[in-house]
Amino acid sequence: MNLRHIWIVFSKEVKDIVRDKKTIITSIVIPMVIIPLLSILAGGSVRNMQQDIEQNVTIGLTRESNTEDIRALIKEDIIADYPNIKLVDVEDPIEAINNSEVRILLDVEKDYKEKLEQGKPFVIEILYDKSQTKSEGSIYIMSDAINEFNKRVVSERLNKLGIDDEILRPVEIKEKNIIDDGKAGLSLLAMILPFLLVILISAGGIAPATDLVAGEKERNTFEPLLTTKAGRSSLLIGKYLTVTLFSFVSAITSFLGMILGYVIDPKSMTMGTEAYVSGFSISGTALFMILTISILMGMTFAGIQIALSTYAKSFREAQTYMSFLLIIITIPGYSTILMQPNEIPLFMYVVPVLNTISAFKTVLGVNINYTYLAIALASSVVYVIVSLKIAISLFNRESVLFRS
Amino acid sequence: MIKVENLTKRFGTFTAVNKVSFEVEKGEIFGLLGENGAGKTTTLRMLATMLKPTEGTALMAGFDVVSEPEKVRSKIGILFGGETGLYDRLTCEENIAYFGQLNDMGRDEIDKRIKIMAKAFGMEEYIKRRAGKLSKGMKQKVAFARAIIHDPDIMLFDEPTSGLDVSAIKDVHDFIRTCKTDGKTIVFSSHTMSEVEKLCDRIAIINKGVLVEKGKVEDLKNKYGSDNLEDIFLRLVGEGNES
Repeated sequence: MNLRHIWIVFSKEVKDIVRDKKTIITSIVIPMVIIPLLSILAGGSVRNMQQDIEQNVTIGLTRESNTEDIRALIKEDIIADYPNIKLVDVEDPIEAINNSEVRILLDVEKDYKEKLEQGKPFVIEILYDKSQTKSEGSIYIMSDAINEFNKRVVSERLNKLGIDDEILRPVEIKEKNIIDDGKAGLSLLAMILPFLLVILISAGGIAPATDLVAGEKERNTFEPLLTTKAGRSSLLIGKYLTVTLFSFVSAITSFLGMILGYVIDPKSMTMGTEAYVSGFSISGTALFMILTISILMGMTFAGIQIALSTYAKSFREAQTYMSFLLIIITIPGYSTILMQPNEIPLFMYVVPVLNTISAFKTVLGVNINYTYLAIALASSVVYVIVSLKIAISLFNRESVLFRS
Repeated sequence: MIKVENLTKRFGTFTAVNKVSFEVEKGEIFGLLGENGAGKTTTLRMLATMLKPTEGTALMAGFDVVSEPEKVRSKIGILFGGETGLYDRLTCEENIAYFGQLNDMGRDEIDKRIKIMAKAFGMEEYIKRRAGKLSKGMKQKVAFARAIIHDPDIMLFDEPTSGLDVSAIKDVHDFIRTCKTDGKTIVFSSHTMSEVEKLCDRIAIINKGVLVEKGKVEDLKNKYGSDNLEDIFLRLVGEGNES
């Protein structure tokens, strides 16, 4: 291996890629523009829907329940304190749900008045359409109004009997969040960020890795390269470092895109959860370790991608392998998305990909376990060595290099 | 300058090149004549150290292809047929310089050589343009320059005229002659009788990985009593196929 040759290959490949408008657009421009744009659009629409569900609850009555008394019960006794719930008069109640004229229908027992007077329970049936998000989402708001009505009636009945309604509340539940709001915001990040990071870093290396070996073979630039004084390992390492660099360029631009989206519209970027990510601090050691682990994961992917590109007979074949790789990587990402930092078992810190996800979740969690981080770091180093060895071995194997 | 001894290459159970031996003198053009799949490319790939011989070896400018591959590579230049194999997004100058750098040449030396070759091949006008924007003929000249940027003693040409039009073929032939004039030793593979006859000092006919005949074209014509190299080739290859 010759460092000068590695540098020559690396600088040539970087120059070549930087001049490729397609690569620049896909790895720098698109993440910087598309990610904030999509997040704002998607987050904005989720937020709008939530607001709409909460603010504009339209309800109707079934034909049997559409009487003056019941209308009065609903309007004056149940939803009077709920300006967001509106009783709508409809001709065909079921049709009204289907065409979204109302979100839910109420069917109140005919003899509700007698039962109410006798102190017996009566039934209000809520009819909704499960296929409509807004219809299903309105149930809890309506239920809340009915529960309030229940409480009020119970309270009145007890007062008539001279009993304080406190008797019905032997225990009062109080909730207190023990971590600061910044950390609460981080727990949301701990779900999404590691998954995104893994996908973005692996996706960023795909285009250069495909081009740098399979592409060279296809363009007939590969054989002249092999007859220069540069050894194969030097050629491979130069290309490998290029892929690693562009994996990170793509990941960094994607993150910048997310930050940009957050700056423009924080609420939309957090899907309306209003979680915020300011005011937290991560220790320097943890930050260093997680950055190192991320870089090592990028290097591992670069090794695998270069190996796949070397094995592929053509550009197209290489692209197919890369797509499979991306799908495989997505599986651990998805399967751990809801896992919280304190729930991560030890073995996950030594499994490829999962070790990086776990390390990230740990750092973004409440208590950082440095032993676990060290395990993730050590296993990452091992995977870099293994993937690079595989790539070098394939690159030096005639049967692979000249596979046709 | 080139000494090939019992060069053999097996891929699994298939023997692509079987105990091929020949010698090429300095400044000589040696033609490897054979049908597609005869073993010409595999032989040249072994001489270029891209493939390791299963048996036998070859000395290139005094260096062994098996034990001193890097030294061999510093002495050879290659030009393979088909696509010219340039980096489209690099300029012609950058394409050539890249190979000079990888052959351990200094920047000044590279610039000097590029200047000389740009003039010799008439590339001065487009030497700073990106290779992807050039015509096929222009690209070919860049590929010539790239192959000899490090001034190799030996040139290996593997079917360099394959798929080219008449004027491009002429350019390749002229380039081979220039290499000879510059004192380079040349191994040239082809399946086109006429160009082999026109360019080569000596030829070897290869069939199914076996070298079936070698010598000067005139000597072969006398030996086989025919004025037509194609007839001689078919007779030798036919004999080889029957056996």
